[in-house]
Parts: sequence; structure tokens; C-alpha cells
Amino acid sequence: MNGSTALQPGGGLRARFDELTRDTLNLFANVLFAVSLFAVWGVLTLIGVIVDQGKDPSVYFNAYPPAVARMVLRLHFDNIYHDTAYVGIIGLILISLAVCTFKRVIPARIPPLRAVKIEHMPLNATVVANGNLDDVRATVDRFFASRGWSIRKRELGGVEWTFADRHDWARRGVLVAHIGFVIIATGTTIYWAKGFSGNTTIVSGSKTTIPQTGAVLALDQFRYKIQPISTKSGIVYQPIDYVSDVHVTDGSGKTYATTIRVNHPIDIDGTLYYQATYGFAVDFALTKDGAPVPGSVAGPIMEGQTIPLGRTGRAIRYRQFVGTIDRRTGGAGPDPRPNDPGVVADFFDGDQLIGTELIPLGKEFDLGAGYRLRPGRFTLYSGLTYRYDPGIPLVGIGAFVLVAGLIISFYLLPARMFVRIDPAAGQVDPPRRWAVGLAATTVKGYDIFEDEFRELVSALERETNPPDAPRRGSLVPQGAPT
Amino acid sequence: MTTDQILILIALSAYIMATLALLTYFLSREPFARMVGIPFAFLGCITQFVELLLRWQTTHIWPLTNLYGSLSLFSAMSVAFFIGFALRYDLWFLGGFVTALAGGFLGYALSWNEGYLPPVPALQSYWIKIHVPLVVSSYAAFMVAAVASVVYLIKYYFEQSLEGGAPMAGLSAAGAAAGAGNLGLRMQAEATGDLASLRESPATAAAAARGNALAQWLATLPSLAKLDVVTYRVTAAGVVLLAVGIVTGAMWAKEAWGAYWQWDPKETAALASWILYLGYMHLHSRRAWQGVRTSWVSVVGFLSIMFCYLGVNIWISGLHSYKM
Repeated sequence: MNGSTALQPGGGLRARFDELTRDTLNLFANVLFAVSLFAVWGVLTLIGVIVDQGKDPSVYFNAYPPAVARMVLRLHFDNIYHDTAYVGIIGLILISLAVCTFKRVIPARIPPLRAVKIEHMPLNATVVANGNLDDVRATVDRFFASRGWSIRKRELGGVEWTFADRHDWARRGVLVAHIGFVIIATGTTIYWAKGFSGNTTIVSGSKTTIPQTGAVLALDQFRYKIQPISTKSGIVYQPIDYVSDVHVTDGSGKTYATTIRVNHPIDIDGTLYYQATYGFAVDFALTKDGAPVPGSVAGPIMEGQTIPLGRTGRAIRYRQFVGTIDRRTGGAGPDPRPNDPGVVADFFDGDQLIGTELIPLGKEFDLGAGYRLRPGRFTLYSGLTYRYDPGIPLVGIGAFVLVAGLIISFYLLPARMFVRIDPAAGQVDPPRRWAVGLAATTVKGYDIFEDEFRELVSALERETNPPDAPRRGSLVPQGAPT
Repeated sequence: MTTDQILILIALSAYIMATLALLTYFLSREPFARMVGIPFAFLGCITQFVELLLRWQTTHIWPLTNLYGSLSLFSAMSVAFFIGFALRYDLWFLGGFVTALAGGFLGYALSWNEGYLPPVPALQSYWIKIHVPLVVSSYAAFMVAAVASVVYLIKYYFEQSLEGGAPMAGLSAAGAAAGAGNLGLRMQAEATGDLASLRESPATAAAAARGNALAQWLATLPSLAKLDVVTYRVTAAGVVLLAVGIVTGAMWAKEAWGAYWQWDPKETAALASWILYLGYMHLHSRRAWQGVRTSWVSVVGFLSIMFCYLGVNIWISGLHSYKM
């Protein structure tokens, strides 16, 4: 064979390629490799829990020592779930799962019917029974069949073997669970390929068009309910309800009124719209020497938006709406409802924050150099999330299949009983005493089945030796550890 | 005192009594201690469920919308899980640890009891009646599994110390069982009354025969193989419950927030814990890892569950920050 390889230069390369393929498949079929991937996936996932995701780099430098912050940014821990390494690990797990399924799960879980050395199996026992062979066989078959075991018989090496299987179909549980994972992955891939999502905010009395669908949503009003409740720690202002009353114009041009609540999204042409946030848009008036500054403010602005201060390079950011100003402290009170409202404004010189102020609505604030800022009336706005996800049915099916697979593989214990009936020791032809050799295997090892095996053996002994009949045999433990 | 407070007091007292009695049983194997401990464990568990139901009935507010309610259910479910498995596998010797932890968690839950608050809009969904009990029950199962693992490790390391630190014949439970002989030998030993031969470690059996008190006490505990199987079975229950909990949580998230996965700290930590337990289930399929190694994984898994449950709720803000 070596000579043949030498004569064919491509053969060596082919052999090396085959060996590499075999090694790679063996690696991916190794349970410890899969568990190592799980460990890396778990650690990366946990890092994402501990490290704030998607923040500005300055946030990490404020939160951690510089070296740690640099490490967080360089290793992409700030956006870990979308990092190539993270997605790659999930990809490797899926490959490992597929290879394990075909190389390990299927062959190991669906073993062929074969003869075994009963006394070498860790779970083994021998029951001695009297009678003719056919009666003993019939008793054994009846015993297992009546307990839900399926019986198959094979003649192997001139000996008749009885194979009793319980929950044989459940041997596919792991396979089912793995298929569930693959279906979920397929469903999420369909979303990545064909789905979309986005956020939009609508100020009461205005409307917006969703770019991907052309649907038009007009917000008639946003309503909220916040209830003050006495607790042991004081009054808590508990949000009870957030509701957007909207008029929707769908793809067919039909317009209708509806409401969107938290936990109650609406469906427009297959795209779902969710109540996500709300806020207070405020009309700001910016003046210089008593005259409006042209082009500085157009309409109400929302939290996070900025107003340029003429051409000074300075800007004002509307950071937060304060429902109730605490008159004693001059700061924000705990009640978020707009009883005595104000706004928190940040003042910037270029990128540099130079001050923050809480300004009551309707009051002017002197910015210096003749500039004055006056927050006026507020209007509620609603923040909506929309999402089109054609992969949902598959993800749902995949989740169901996964859970079904887990339940099958964890709770049902497929077991196989090997039964061989031989003449008992010292019997002459025709024998009247028989040694029923029993050995059991399960997909989860022997310990888990030990008690049940013991009970089965005892029950079989009782069945072959009914109490009303003279005692014909006994449970004879056989076999030493090998 | 309100009925609510009286019931909590009864549950706490019952857990204290159950802990004392069942720990005594664990150490002495005195049947009387077990007979005293079991009714108290039942009483504490039932009282807690009655308290939660009463709270719901009185206020018409689902009691699991805050940390007090969920911790209270966690405590009750852990005892319920334990009772279920103890009845099936005769595990009462573990009871003292479980009721001690349940009582501790119930006591801690009281520090979060702010009274009756209506749920915030995100929690006003029928999913809360499905998702939260499932997830909290999975945590409870993992707690019972961790307790069984700790007892496994106690027995394993004590047996090692009796053998002068030398590794046991089998590192794994399966190996240990094989070292003790197969079922045939076990049955023979039981038939002849030679119970010493049932123990995994010959050195422990020898030490017990010499009158070593530690060895004699170890011999009263179930075999390492049985402890390993119990841990596996309880963990399997927890893994499935957590899987269904994560799936129902994702379905709820889809309904409430528009995406079934938001990488919120809570759901991500739950995923990390689930991955860890999947690792446990896979490792348990390898004979060399069964026993002491998987027991350690179970203990680490429970720490991860505690981080997911309490650490994320209390220290890390996110979409699941429902303390009150």
C-alpha cells in the first residue's frame, strides 16, 4: 500500500486530507470540546451581563481603571453579543452539535441487537425457573410485555436472545433537542435576512410614516396613569398604564383608530408595533436681547435633543423632564406627574459640559451675553418600537421541539434488557431447571437504573415462582466485577 | 398582627424547627428527629403557599411581581421540590440544609416586603403567571441539586481523608459503584447482612469496622453513586424548567418589547446559567466526569443562578429590575 501511495503523489495528499477531516470531525464530536465551547460561550455571555453594553467609551473609562477600560474596548466587550468571536462561538457550537448528532448521538443511542456476556455487565442477575423451556420463555416475555417493554427475539451464535426495550423511541430525545436548536437558529437567520425593526417617536397631534412599510401612524394622544402608593419606605409613584391612542393608515390606504399598550402590540400588515417609551416634548423659546434667535428652535423638542446657541459654538441640551420640583430643596421631587414641572438642561461649550440647571417651565433663565432661555408648555410624546419578523413561527416551533427533546432525554430513561435462557447448572437432558440470565443497559449508565433493575429482578423471580406454587428457584446473584 | 404576618411567622418557625430536627437526623440518624422534622418541613411549605394565595386573594394582585413574592415562592418551591424527591428517593437526610436555606431566603425576602403594590405596565400580562413560577421553580430545583452535591462532596472528601488522601478506586460515582462490586454482589451482601461491603470505599469500611466514628457516620449516608443520581435527576428537572422559563420569557418579551431577546442582563445571566447546566448534563454523560467533578459544576451552577436571581435584580439595572 505504501508503494501505491508513493506511485500516486495525490494519494498522500488525499490521505492527509482524509486524516485531517477525520481528526476535525472527531474533535467536533468530542463532548469535552462541546462543553469547552459552552464554557467559553457562558463566560462571554456573563461578561456581557457585567459590562454595560453599547455605551460611549467615556463610560468605561469612568467606570473602570484605564487598563481595564482599554481592554474592554479593544476586546469589544462593550458590544460583545454582536462581536465576531461571540457569533463564531455560537457557530462552532452548532457545528459541534451537528457532528455530535451524527457521529455520537445516533450511533450510541440506537445500538444494534447483539449478544453480550451477561456476567460482565454491571447490572446482571440470574433467576432460576423450573418448567419446560417454552413456558419459561413465555413467562419472561409476558413479564416484560405487561410492564410496557417491547420484545424482540434474535438467534445469535445458535442461542436465542430476547431483547426487551423500554422507551426505545425516547433514545431520539437528544436528537430532537439538537434539531430544536437548529430550527431556532434557522428562524433567527430568517429574521436577519428578511426582517427589520426600528423605533419611532410621535408627539401628540402629529404623525409619522414607517419607512419600511409606508404605514402612517397619527398619535391622537398619549395617556399614562401613575398612582401614589404608601409603602413601608414611603410613597412610591407606581406606573400603572401607558396608552397611545392612534389613527393608523395601513398599506391598503384604510384608516382606523386603535390603541397601543404595553404587552398589547398592534399588527399592521404583518408588522407589530409596541408601546416602548414616552416622554415630554417641550417648547423652548431662545431669545437674544429680547428677540427670538432665528433658526435655533423649531417646534417642541424631546429629551436628549439640543438647541444651538446662535453662532457661539455653545449649545443647550434638554436632558430630562421633571414632573414636580421640590420647592424645599429646589431639586427634582419624587412625583413624576407634571404638577410643578421643569426641565433639566445641560450647557455645552463645544463638547465640554459647562453647567446644568433645573429650570421651571414658564420661567426665563439667563444664559449670559443677552441670551435667555424659556421652557414653555409641554406635549406628551410616545415612543414606539416596530418589528417585522418572518422567523417567529420557526423560532416558536424550534423552542417547542427543543423543550420536548430535553423532556424526552432527561425524564424518559430508555433501557434495554438482555435475556438469555440456559439450562441451570447440573441439569441433564432434558433439562427442567433454567437459568434466566438478565443484564441491563441504559443511555445514562448503570447507577441510575440500579434500584429499578433490582425491583424487576425480584418481580420476575416472584412471577416465575408464584407464592401458591412450591418454590422453584431463587435469585442467584452472579458475576464478579471485571 | 395581620394574617399575612402570622403565616410568615409560622412558616419561619416551622423551617427553624425542621432545620434543627433534620440536621440532628443528618448527624445522628435518629429516626425520631426525622419524624419531628418532616411535619415541620411540610408545615412551613404549605403555610408559605397559603400566604401567597391569601395575598393574591386579598389584594387581587399577583403576588410574584416583586422580589419579596418571588423569593417567597423560591423558598416554598425549594422545600416542595425537596419533599417530592425525598418521598421518591428517601432523601430526608438532606432536609436540614434545604429548610435552613429556605428559611434564610424567606427571612431575606421579608426585607424586601414593601406591602401591596400594583404591577407596573410591563408586568400586566398573563405571562407573569407562567414565566415567573417556572423560572423560580427551576432556581429551587437547582438549590436542592446543589445541596445534594455538597453532601456528595462532603462524603467524598471525608472518605478521601480516611484513605490518607489517596484517590479513591474510582474518581467517579460509577467507578465507585464498580469498586463496590456489581448489583449481584450488592444483593448478595444484603442477603447475608454484610452491609460493610456495600460501601464504596474499602478503607472507609475498614475504618468503620475499627470503630472510627466518622467512617461509621459516612456509612449511614447513601452511596456516592446514589447521591450523584439524585443530583442528576433534580438538575434535569431544573434544566427543563429553566429552558421552558427562558422560552416563555422570550415569548413574553416579544409581546411586551417587540423582540424575544434583548440581551438584558437578567435574561443573559439566565442563559449563561442554563449553558452551565447544559454543560453539567453533557459532562454527566461521560463516566470519567460523573461524581465529584459534576458535583462541583452543580455547586458553581447554583452560584451562577444566585447571581442571576439576586445579583442582577439588586445590583445591575435592566428591564428586569423589579425589586418592589
